[in-house]
Amino acid sequence: MSSLAFLKPGRIGMLFLHAVSWLAVTYMVVPLAVIVAASFNASNRLAFPPQGFSLKWYSQFLSDPTYVQSILNSTQLAVSATAIALVLGTAAALAIARGNFRGAGALTTLMMSPLVLPNIVIGAALLQFASMFGFARSFSSLLAGHVILVLPYVMRLVLASFAGFNRSLEEASQDLGAGPFTTFFRITLPQIKPGIVSGGLFAFVVSWVNVELSIFNSSPQFALLPVKILNYVEYTVDPLIAAVSASTIYVAIVIVVLIDAFIGIDKFANARAET
Amino acid sequence: MNLSRFNIFCLIVIPVACLFAFCVAPLGVAAASSFFTDQGDFSLQTYWKILADEEYRSTLWATLVISVVVTAIAAPFGFLIAYYNVMVVKSKLARRLIYMAVILPLFTSNIVRAFGFMVLLGRNGIVNNTLMWLGAVETPVRFLYSDVAVVIGLSYIFVPFMVLSIASALQGIDRSLLQASSDLGGGPWTTFRRVVLPLSLPGVLAGSIIVFTLSVSAFVTPSVMLGGRGKVMSMIIYEQYVSFMNFPFGAALAITLMFTAFVVVALYSYVFERKLAWSRA
Repeated sequence: MSSLAFLKPGRIGMLFLHAVSWLAVTYMVVPLAVIVAASFNASNRLAFPPQGFSLKWYSQFLSDPTYVQSILNSTQLAVSATAIALVLGTAAALAIARGNFRGAGALTTLMMSPLVLPNIVIGAALLQFASMFGFARSFSSLLAGHVILVLPYVMRLVLASFAGFNRSLEEASQDLGAGPFTTFFRITLPQIKPGIVSGGLFAFVVSWVNVELSIFNSSPQFALLPVKILNYVEYTVDPLIAAVSASTIYVAIVIVVLIDAFIGIDKFANARAET
Repeated sequence: MNLSRFNIFCLIVIPVACLFAFCVAPLGVAAASSFFTDQGDFSLQTYWKILADEEYRSTLWATLVISVVVTAIAAPFGFLIAYYNVMVVKSKLARRLIYMAVILPLFTSNIVRAFGFMVLLGRNGIVNNTLMWLGAVETPVRFLYSDVAVVIGLSYIFVPFMVLSIASALQGIDRSLLQASSDLGGGPWTTFRRVVLPLSLPGVLAGSIIVFTLSVSAFVTPSVMLGGRGKVMSMIIYEQYVSFMNFPFGAALAITLMFTAFVVVALYSYVFERKLAWSRA
């Protein structure tokens, strides 16, 4: 981009800008990198730089049934919440993008409103509400909370994929006699697929890493991985919990790479920043 | 595709019902409970209790101060990365790498990131080891379990929100304005100060509001970083809800916190926008 030449300060200034910026970018991954490094420690202490190389903490982590169970629980919750949010979020986004109705703006604001509410407030209110109706600290209350939590993200990314969408294909389909269902599944869905895939991945990860909403609504009988890490770290830190934490970082890396492959990480960053 | 009124109704009825049942109704119940006594009479007693207690007032104040400092640190930090990525970086690969580095922390749990800082800032952490190796200090510095640790942890956690918000404002700047500024004899610094910076301020404003609101209600980072040696509002709310099961009082604390944060954000936006309008005039 040659047009940006006007913003070029002198050579030394430019060098300084490059150095400081890359330092700042590196800083963003340092706390994650130290966890990964510490998880391969051969010693029992959380030493840094790590002493020796060993995978024993990973094998200890994966042979502990309570950790495996909490991973399964977290995954079950995140997958269920994502599936429900995808169906509800796509339906609402379709109505907003295609229905020419008064109040579409208000509906968008309403559906996005959980984003501006602190997680602990949603979590606490849900605990209080579920206690009144006798389903406090159950899978249902967790699921309800997580659906509310991830729904705005799904809607935002699906709505973003409706923009720049060729409507004439839908019209052609309907002119050729296809009903609304056929048109949706054969024409609309393939076109908004990037939004649905990235919205689904993002919703999964938001639910999977959540602590603030979950601590109010989970129970020891249904332990979730991030809550388990929190309870552990509050008492002690050792290479075992570094291996557990590092494993969640690997999951995050996989999801970032998947999102980059499906819609491109810069597009995702832009859609994420809107609203 | 044209949707009939009936189609639209069918599409939105379940999402809206879910939102009301599991978000609006619980919030309404919680808010209402804070205004009634156990006997069911309207009362502001929970709020008087908060206002009268020195401990709650000082905790609220400490929470606000921490959040302001966190916002003030995250803003220039986020601006630097956003500016560099949008305005300076030319290679597509580098731009993607930077976005990945910014988004990857967002995809890891707050508790994992807080843990990373415990490893960094602990007695035998990298920072202390480096300082001692350099001879800057004789004995390890106690970073953890202080407000400073909370500020370091939170400002790190919220930088990505600032980057995304400012980057989207920077992307919206019409590049011909930069050309115009340059043609009129503005050097790089003048162009930055008089064109780029003012046009990016709405992104800074939006990012600051997000970061401030998130800081005020942050729970995991403060509770791990303070390790029982201090409190912020979210920890008191959690305590009331989970340890004491005193829902109405917990709700009153949450409303007090959200109301105060709202007032701060409203004042900040008002002053910010007045200044913006004034600088453009």
